[in-house]
Amino acid sequence: MTVMEFLEDRLGNIVFQAVFIIAASVFLLVTGTEAGILLLLFVIWFLFFVGIQTAAFFRYRSRLRELQNIMDGLDEKYLFAECVPKAGNVYETKLFDLSRRAGKAMIGAVSDARAAQREYREYVESWIHEIKTPITAAGLICRNANPEVRWKLSRELAQVEAHVERALFYARAESPEKDFFIRQTHLADLVDEAILQYRMLLMQSGIRIETGNMEQTVYTDGKWVIFIIGQLLQNAARYRGDDALVTLSAGRCGKQVWLTVCDNGIGIPAHEISRVWERGFTGSNGRSRGGSTGMGLYLCRRLADCLEIGTEITSEIGRGTKVTLIFPAKTGLKDRNNITNAVNTANLTNP
Amino acid sequence: MQTIMIIEDDSVICEELTFLLKNEGYHPIPVRDFTDIPKQVAAGSPDLILLDIVLPGKDGFSLCREIRKSVHAPVIFITGRDSGLDEIRAFSLGGDDYITKPYNIPVMMARIKAVLRRGSGITETDAMEACGLVLNLAKGTVSSETGTAVLSRNELQILACLMEHAGEIVARADLVEMLWENKIYIDDNTLSVNMTRLRGKLEGIGKGGLVKTRRGMGYQL
Repeated sequence: MTVMEFLEDRLGNIVFQAVFIIAASVFLLVTGTEAGILLLLFVIWFLFFVGIQTAAFFRYRSRLRELQNIMDGLDEKYLFAECVPKAGNVYETKLFDLSRRAGKAMIGAVSDARAAQREYREYVESWIHEIKTPITAAGLICRNANPEVRWKLSRELAQVEAHVERALFYARAESPEKDFFIRQTHLADLVDEAILQYRMLLMQSGIRIETGNMEQTVYTDGKWVIFIIGQLLQNAARYRGDDALVTLSAGRCGKQVWLTVCDNGIGIPAHEISRVWERGFTGSNGRSRGGSTGMGLYLCRRLADCLEIGTEITSEIGRGTKVTLIFPAKTGLKDRNNITNAVNTANLTNP
Repeated sequence: MQTIMIIEDDSVICEELTFLLKNEGYHPIPVRDFTDIPKQVAAGSPDLILLDIVLPGKDGFSLCREIRKSVHAPVIFITGRDSGLDEIRAFSLGGDDYITKPYNIPVMMARIKAVLRRGSGITETDAMEACGLVLNLAKGTVSSETGTAVLSRNELQILACLMEHAGEIVARADLVEMLWENKIYIDDNTLSVNMTRLRGKLEGIGKGGLVKTRRGMGYQL
């Protein structure tokens, strides 16, 4: 609160006091009070007035600063009214009561929304686990069909699987309880697993994949990284050019390990490259080729951020796209192993 | 013949797995009654148990613990749940492997084979024989009566696939699929190039026309 704001707030009071003192002076002068006494009275009144207002100004200012500090220190700002110290006067007490009531309604709404979100996530996860059984069964049945039908059906099933995976990881990425599990992993295993998992989509789009120098150790959650690599491979397959080739290579830079997924596909226009990680962004390629949801790279970024994996993308129209993942060094990782605690409490018994 | 017990409540998957394992030369025992599984397992004395986690009545984890008390056969968990926590629980309860649905059949078969091998101590032979050819997988060579040729990794896998299905027609698509499963990620054109080279090498050891092209269908050894 500045002095000007304070004066502005008090303007009515000040004008009233001034008018009153002028009127009183005129009255006293007319009724025969001496000018000297009048001046003395005026000076005394003025000192009192200024003193009281100055004190009020500092009181208000310190109170506001106190409240400001409480607000700044709160993680959940809507709990503010619950945390303020006892008010000094009736007016303030009533105001806080009102804002506390507003806050309570808000807290109720927030916790309801959280519970609903958690329940929804749990439902989605269990649904996804359920849906995998019929997909598996369909895949097994499909093996007995004639080669052409099998080939086509297994591609469709692979598509279903890819969509289901994305839904699962969307539920995981958007939920506040991120259950990833950082372990020491071989990058080569992750890459092979990702290719294996999405091989139907990749193989049937007629691309070749070359991998080189994959013997690196990374500290990360394997499942999440397999998903991320899978999304990058699917993009490479979807936006492929002629004689499509995807090259995966890895290396070490200081304590960090990098992995690049480089394709020779159609590339991304320069003005769109900064937006590819956005949710729902499909770009001109997505629109012209269809089937793009704008979720793949968005999820990659979200998951990578959780795992503290750096992401970079460069592209040239007609030449291809290169995505680099930069895995954090072991020592650079914060202690974010949420699941470790869960494991400790999960009552593991080893028979 | 090795016995594999399948504890899976989804009847379609159970049936297909039974069929698949039978084709691979195992003796599968599907469990149909989920009331007293440990007893059935003890009675069946299988060499390997495939165990689902979500089952009617007891879940797979507690079943595994009970089974472990009496039977020492390896257990492979097969499940739709793929959280890290479930995997850790599975291993800590004495599971030997953990495969998530929807599984990749060749990979699953390879894992079953690996777990069985670990249990029995049998080592797999690294040589194959078909149509007068001997393929040494460890050395990467193929020999006939007239000579020996050194093969590249791709050629070796292609020939191994064909020899495994000697006499049958192997579709190009299937061949590509099998190669991808063996970590060779090539396309149709590259397959043709490798096939030409392979034929050249086979010709060198006097087995020229051995790999036949069946137009529109695939290759046949």
